[in-house]
Amino acid sequence: MTWLRKLRWLLPSYRRAQEGEMEAELQSLAEIAAADQASLGNLTLARESARAVWGWTWLASLAADARYALRVLRKERSFTAVAVLSLALGIGANAAIFSIVDALLLQALPVRDPQSLVEFDNSSSSYFTYMRFAANSGRIFSGMLARVAGRRDIDTGGSPVRANVELVTGSYFRVLGVPALYGRAIGPDDDNRGHPAPVAVISHALWMRQYGGDPSALGRTIRVQRAPFTIVGVAPPEFFGVVVGEAPVVWVPLSTYSSVYPGQNPLDEPGTNFLEFLGRLRPGVTAAQASAALTPIQIQAQLQRVGEVPEWIRQEIRRQKVQLVPSGKGISFLRYWLSKPLHIVFGMVALVLLLACVNLMNLQAARVFERRKELAVRLAIGASRLRVARQVFTESALLAMAGGALGLLACRPVAETLLALVSPANPVSLHLRFDSQLIAFIAATSIVAAILCGVAPAWRATRGEILPAIQQGSGAAKASPAGRLFGRGLASLQVALSLVLVAGAILFATSLYKLMHIDTGVDRSRLVVLEVDPVEAGYQGEQTSALDRRLAARLAALPGVESATFSFNGVFTFRSMNRGVEPEGYRSANPRDLSAWCDQVGPHYFSTIGARLIAGRDFAERDDRGAAQVMIVNEEFARFYFASRNPIGRTVAIEEEWKKPKILRQIVGVVKDLRSSGSIRERPERCFYLPAFQTQTIQASTRFLVRTAASPKSLFSAVREAARAEDPALAIESVDTAVDLLNRALNRDRLMADLSAAFGTLALLLSAIGIYGLLSYEVARRTGEVGIRMALGARPAQIVRMVLSEVGRLAIIGVVAGGVTALAVGKLVSGMIFGLQPGNPAVLAAAALALIAVALCAGFWPARRAARLDPMAALRQE
Amino acid sequence: MPERTELLQGTLDMLVLRTLLLGPLHGYGIAKSIRQVSNDSLQIEFGSLYPALRRLELKGWISAKWETSERNRRARVYRLTAAGRKQLVREQSKWQNFIDAIARVMQGEPAGGES
Repeated sequence: MTWLRKLRWLLPSYRRAQEGEMEAELQSLAEIAAADQASLGNLTLARESARAVWGWTWLASLAADARYALRVLRKERSFTAVAVLSLALGIGANAAIFSIVDALLLQALPVRDPQSLVEFDNSSSSYFTYMRFAANSGRIFSGMLARVAGRRDIDTGGSPVRANVELVTGSYFRVLGVPALYGRAIGPDDDNRGHPAPVAVISHALWMRQYGGDPSALGRTIRVQRAPFTIVGVAPPEFFGVVVGEAPVVWVPLSTYSSVYPGQNPLDEPGTNFLEFLGRLRPGVTAAQASAALTPIQIQAQLQRVGEVPEWIRQEIRRQKVQLVPSGKGISFLRYWLSKPLHIVFGMVALVLLLACVNLMNLQAARVFERRKELAVRLAIGASRLRVARQVFTESALLAMAGGALGLLACRPVAETLLALVSPANPVSLHLRFDSQLIAFIAATSIVAAILCGVAPAWRATRGEILPAIQQGSGAAKASPAGRLFGRGLASLQVALSLVLVAGAILFATSLYKLMHIDTGVDRSRLVVLEVDPVEAGYQGEQTSALDRRLAARLAALPGVESATFSFNGVFTFRSMNRGVEPEGYRSANPRDLSAWCDQVGPHYFSTIGARLIAGRDFAERDDRGAAQVMIVNEEFARFYFASRNPIGRTVAIEEEWKKPKILRQIVGVVKDLRSSGSIRERPERCFYLPAFQTQTIQASTRFLVRTAASPKSLFSAVREAARAEDPALAIESVDTAVDLLNRALNRDRLMADLSAAFGTLALLLSAIGIYGLLSYEVARRTGEVGIRMALGARPAQIVRMVLSEVGRLAIIGVVAGGVTALAVGKLVSGMIFGLQPGNPAVLAAAALALIAVALCAGFWPARRAARLDPMAALRQE
Repeated sequence: MPERTELLQGTLDMLVLRTLLLGPLHGYGIAKSIRQVSNDSLQIEFGSLYPALRRLELKGWISAKWETSERNRRARVYRLTAAGRKQLVREQSKWQNFIDAIARVMQGEPAGGES
């Protein structure tokens, strides 16, 4: 109970009572022992020691330190503002990135025993294969599930909103171990296709937003792509599906696929790989054992599916292996896509924070030097060195704490803004946690920052002799050589750190510039891309071709339109398909050589998108069913199959439909390589184009390409209007300019360029402040020396040169050190930049020049101040 | 005047408790009593005694009350509590063990193995 009594000391009323009691007691004893004062001893010391009995002296002196530090910091407002802001920025940015990293890479799924979940890393993921796995994996898995998700129109009774829907097998919720918060989850019964009353489970967020958290939402109807579903359950609030960043608002049974995607029925297509499989390993089964046991099941299923095929295909199938990856943290495409940039950005923000700390360390050291006289007096009258060092450290700690508090406020908006920037078209909903873990991270970062920027100045504050410090005038003091070296070393370190960040910024900016100005082979100015989905409106086969033809004509007739056409892939959409080809006169033992990328395009396709035909002709209206079977290939296709021989007029046998006879086509044109599907960073692969009117239409959306005479955006409404006039039931998926589509593909690159530019600028600014601070203090310290030089005839220009040459020296040291570091860490970004190497000498030279220029500018003002000194006044200070 | 003896570390608490066993005393009285009983060889300054009193009070081994003395002076008078009595017994036996051990080493014959 002693500690409880000790704790009471913290109550001011208790403390006052105790103090009063102590005073009264000592007073009374002084009277009693009036005759014997000597034996009473030192009563002041007795008071002090008695207070210490409660064990709170450390707190009292801490409070005194804090009060004093606050007074000092309040007096030096601009220093405090710069220090707190730079720390807040550094800590806030680190916390924001940390919360994203945590959500994307560290958090486990909120499901039962996430560690035993595995994901199939597998190209063969049709419903047919899933059924085989589910039926035969009982010894390996305690359960298995399949899922797929997509953005669909969700209608809760207002106007439809696009949001993510997850289609899941009946085993989904049971295998994950996620019970419904209200009602029931989707169960095995819901796997029955043609269920008269299909059901849906809604997310907690949708339940709160649309139904105000009212349990009566159960039983109501929700429409997904116009198909009605009965709400039977609400998912728990912490459950966001199994794909990180997807956050579906509604779960429906996979058996309702054809209702959610009208006109499509992949459940009955054994060759359509569209699902993701997850399994829960039985206790004691390793992923390797499971993979070994599952591989024969997959091979069996595949062989059964393909039936009669050439032996080499059967060989290929027998070589397949089922790969399992742990998925306790959920499946994440974002993780693959963002993990590297996130780590790089994390590195950058850590550098910025380090830079801010070094900056502060330098400024603090300078301020401590200014106050050396005061500190020496404290030491002289008996303060211990530790006590003085603690006083100085308290200031840094307070700054770091203020920075951390501001950083905590800033981190959520920063993190959310960053996520919004990552993918504006397709919002990423990460479950960012702003909880005790984040607060612990911020606290730890603040403590590290306080130690980084506080310990060295505090230590230095108590070095050196006391007497000279007191005797010296403020202007004539000499820092120890070690102290000067320390300050300059820090300034060089700042320059070095900044160089790394600035070089990174230039690198990413150059890379983005090159990507944006890359020759894609498509003239993307004044090109509108309209995507419509005829499948949903019930179009099939010939009807779709007719619709494509009519809508293209309608679009071409719009005022301000030069030409219009369509294709399956469109441009910059990352849709592509691959088909088997047998070009005339070409032999290869490798079956992979006998396939190429393919698109089905409308008449005048290449002239409309502005592609250059190297030989032959474009497709025209006459290339229809009745005409000769033709095709156009790209340069790479021609080079790969025909080398230097003229490809025009040669024939290629193409496998246009699975297990149907190949169709012989004649090449009528060669087009320059297009970088419009796949990744635009990669070299175009071999590709061929078929006239749409000579091929089977594909059951998916069509992209219309409209070349305009004026600004493409001014035609958006006319284009939409035309589609609606053609058929009001036709779903308009999107209308974009080709430039916007390409930019969207470069989102990650733009984000990296923007972020690194922001951090680079911040780094330059922090270095400028650091160098300015260091130089101001050096100039003040050397007032006497400058005075003597001027008295001896040095001209102001010479003084400026003297100071600036010092700046130049430390900048060059920093630049060299930074350059070496940049070369060493450059490898980390090599996969993320385009068109240049990380160690590019021009980039490093530009960064070095920028830093030297900033350093000289920052040093110029202190230099001029030195040059304007009145020599007499300066000497009198001595 | 007898030789002054330095107080051994940690014995002050025990001395205070032992002194209060004889009856309640104010702070100065405790110091004086220790001095007298030890024949002036333990010179305890009140200044160093006072924090010890507060500590013992905080631990609940002694309690204090304002009382008026026969000479009509108000003083804060300390007395031993039940917990203090127990503590005194503990300290005393610890102390006894200590001096016995010291005595054995100082006077006794070597237990074995002379060097």
